[in-house]
Amino acid sequence: MSNKAMMHVLPVEAYTSQEWFDREQLKIFSRTWRFAGFREDIADPGDSITVQAGLNNIFIIKGRDHRLRAFHNICRHRGTQLLRAAGKAQKVLTCPYHDWTYDLEGKLISVPDEDPEFPNLDKSCYGLKPAKVDIWRSMIFVHPDPDAGSIMEWFGDIEPFLGPHNVDELIEYPEARGSYEINANWKVVVENYIDVYHLSHLHSGTLNMYDHAKAEYQFVGPHFAFWEPLAADYLENIERNAAMPLVLPKDKLGAWVPMLFPGLGLGESESDWSIFHITPLGPELSRVETRTRVKDTSAWEFQKQQWRSSRFFEKSITGKYAGDKNSDDPMTSGDFTAEDIYACEQQQKSLRSPYFEVGPSAEAGEKPVREHQQIVKTYLDS
Amino acid sequence: MSSEFYPLRISEICNELVSSDDDQIANAKTFLFDVPESLQHLFTWRAGQHITVQLRIGDATVRRAYSISMSPLANRDVDTENPTFSITVKRVADGMVSNYLLDNMKTGDTIEIMPPFGDFCLDPQLNSRRSHYFFAAGSGITPLFAMLQSVLIAEPHSVVYLLYGNSDVNNVIFQQQLFALAEQYSQRLVIRHIFSRPSVWASDYWRKGRVDSKSTQAFINEHPPYAQDAQYYICGPDAMNASVTNGLLAIDVPRARIHQESYGTVSPLDDSVVSVAAKLTVTLHGSRHEVTVSKNQTLLAAMKAANIKPPFSCQSGICGACKAQLTQGTTHMVSHAALQDNDVAEGKVLTCQALATASYIELIYP
Ligand code: FES
Ligand code: FES
Ligand SMILES: [Fe+2]
Repeated sequence: MSNKAMMHVLPVEAYTSQEWFDREQLKIFSRTWRFAGFREDIADPGDSITVQAGLNNIFIIKGRDHRLRAFHNICRHRGTQLLRAAGKAQKVLTCPYHDWTYDLEGKLISVPDEDPEFPNLDKSCYGLKPAKVDIWRSMIFVHPDPDAGSIMEWFGDIEPFLGPHNVDELIEYPEARGSYEINANWKVVVENYIDVYHLSHLHSGTLNMYDHAKAEYQFVGPHFAFWEPLAADYLENIERNAAMPLVLPKDKLGAWVPMLFPGLGLGESESDWSIFHITPLGPELSRVETRTRVKDTSAWEFQKQQWRSSRFFEKSITGKYAGDKNSDDPMTSGDFTAEDIYACEQQQKSLRSPYFEVGPSAEAGEKPVREHQQIVKTYLDS
Repeated sequence: MSSEFYPLRISEICNELVSSDDDQIANAKTFLFDVPESLQHLFTWRAGQHITVQLRIGDATVRRAYSISMSPLANRDVDTENPTFSITVKRVADGMVSNYLLDNMKTGDTIEIMPPFGDFCLDPQLNSRRSHYFFAAGSGITPLFAMLQSVLIAEPHSVVYLLYGNSDVNNVIFQQQLFALAEQYSQRLVIRHIFSRPSVWASDYWRKGRVDSKSTQAFINEHPPYAQDAQYYICGPDAMNASVTNGLLAIDVPRARIHQESYGTVSPLDDSVVSVAAKLTVTLHGSRHEVTVSKNQTLLAAMKAANIKPPFSCQSGICGACKAQLTQGTTHMVSHAALQDNDVAEGKVLTCQALATASYIELIYP
């Protein structure tokens, strides 16, 4: 067994080597739309955020016309990053190093000691380099290339396969915001998300609200579409059983769980709408950021709904293995995310073993895993 | 573009506004036209373009430009599937041509019409995702209405924001159609009305006042662009256009995103410059002509007098039909509402407005 062992379409080293990681950063994450936050994260003129899109650090700032502008976060003097993290109410952008200053259009407007030090400087040649930004489904996205096509060229074909949610009307549920690291390659995490075969097994106790046998799924371009109906006993008394107030009309219930390329999972369900954003940090380390939107209604309504639904969840949701729900063991916790993280990390641990060898892949339930590898391969071959 | 006139039959007339004193008197009408199959290719149009009508009123032959008030995608003949075009005309105090059309033309009459033209256009793009802001006052709605129809029909990922000013609710052209569109496209269309003299009972308007820089900024604050490729289209009297433009520039809207057309009152003419007599060499349809221009004569008038047939329409600097490229010499334009600043910088001239300020001039028509 050489290290040329395959994970179906990609070699195993695609999941462990720095060299693959670097190529993916260049060929995938620097050339696609990157999730940058929720629409309301940049609320007022002068507010900004920065994001890393592959090799590019990009900042997004709102102008007085309420339009977002995106620029590469690189001072045109000696390249220092202009902005860090998030900013508020900025009128101009001043580089910390030598105080070169730009306006919100990216134009260089002042250079200290311009006359003696830069006698023939044409400031109009040193504006910040633009990137592209847009909003879709209440999410902000950036693309490093200012001439990238419209965001609808990227997401237009998958849109009809997504949930009927009016995302703009839902509000963030701050307690559900999370960020954690997983000791696994980002593709391991994606493949877990789109592995339909595991739903009834790894999550045999935790995702009983849905009828996995009726799931419909397929790739649409580079994006994965997935839908499954509610399980009969959950649906029967849905107004009582849902953990939170419903966000869809009763005749349109279901769970849409797409994986948008590269690494942005959505969970669009009957009672909430969430993102699961995977960022590769290293060949064997990924960060996951989760955020959730729910119905815009009072805390009291949420409280009542939780009380109402507790009976269903107590009876139907259990850990995979019997044990204490409150222990640290993911497999008894009754939390499907903990189960997934556990599975990803356990799989990653085996990849460096000289004895590792992948077995047969499920015809239908693991087809998405193979297809995702093919998409990654196509990007890297380009 | 053809600069000939073709007689077209009025196929239908719809009352848009009636007088509040006497509902037998229409204050605005939409005229729909029959275009024979043989002329269809000449009468295709882009949303935002206008046509020119030519009428004989008494002894005079008069021409006026009217925006086509429908998107080419919105209204199709049931039999032929051809788009049917319409103009919408509003009564104005001294509007000789408009008032004549309103009071005298009947279904079945024919009118001489020059085919559509103009650069104030919006071409919908299926995959684009844009925020289109429209700022209209009075009959300035007509080209914008065609544009917004086009976007709603053929640019499904884009959003439309309309700020529309009128004196009161009885003067809102297309009120009913706009209401219906707002219901149909509730996720993609925002409409806000401003009335300068609302009746005391009126309630369903956004604010009292005018479409100007202040209300423009307030509108954008309340309705920020959803799609980040925002475009701004303004159509109203010169003063409104200037005020809205200034309002947009003041909040850092890049100039290239602002598109406008004057409608109604044109700004006072600039007649401060002394013109000179000149020799003009003009290239039209590929052939060269020598023309003598006298002092205070427009280049268009000189060319017409010399019997060459340059294109023109409104003769008041609004429509842009008479536009040519200056390649030699200098001119002074009394008014140039139909041109953008960069057109002027590039040497585009409206021949109906241009007086010679150099003794030798060369022009070329595109
Ligand atoms: S590096 Fe930014 S001012 Fe010098
Ligand atoms: S004829 Fe209309 S601008 Fe000159
Ligand atoms: Fe899972």
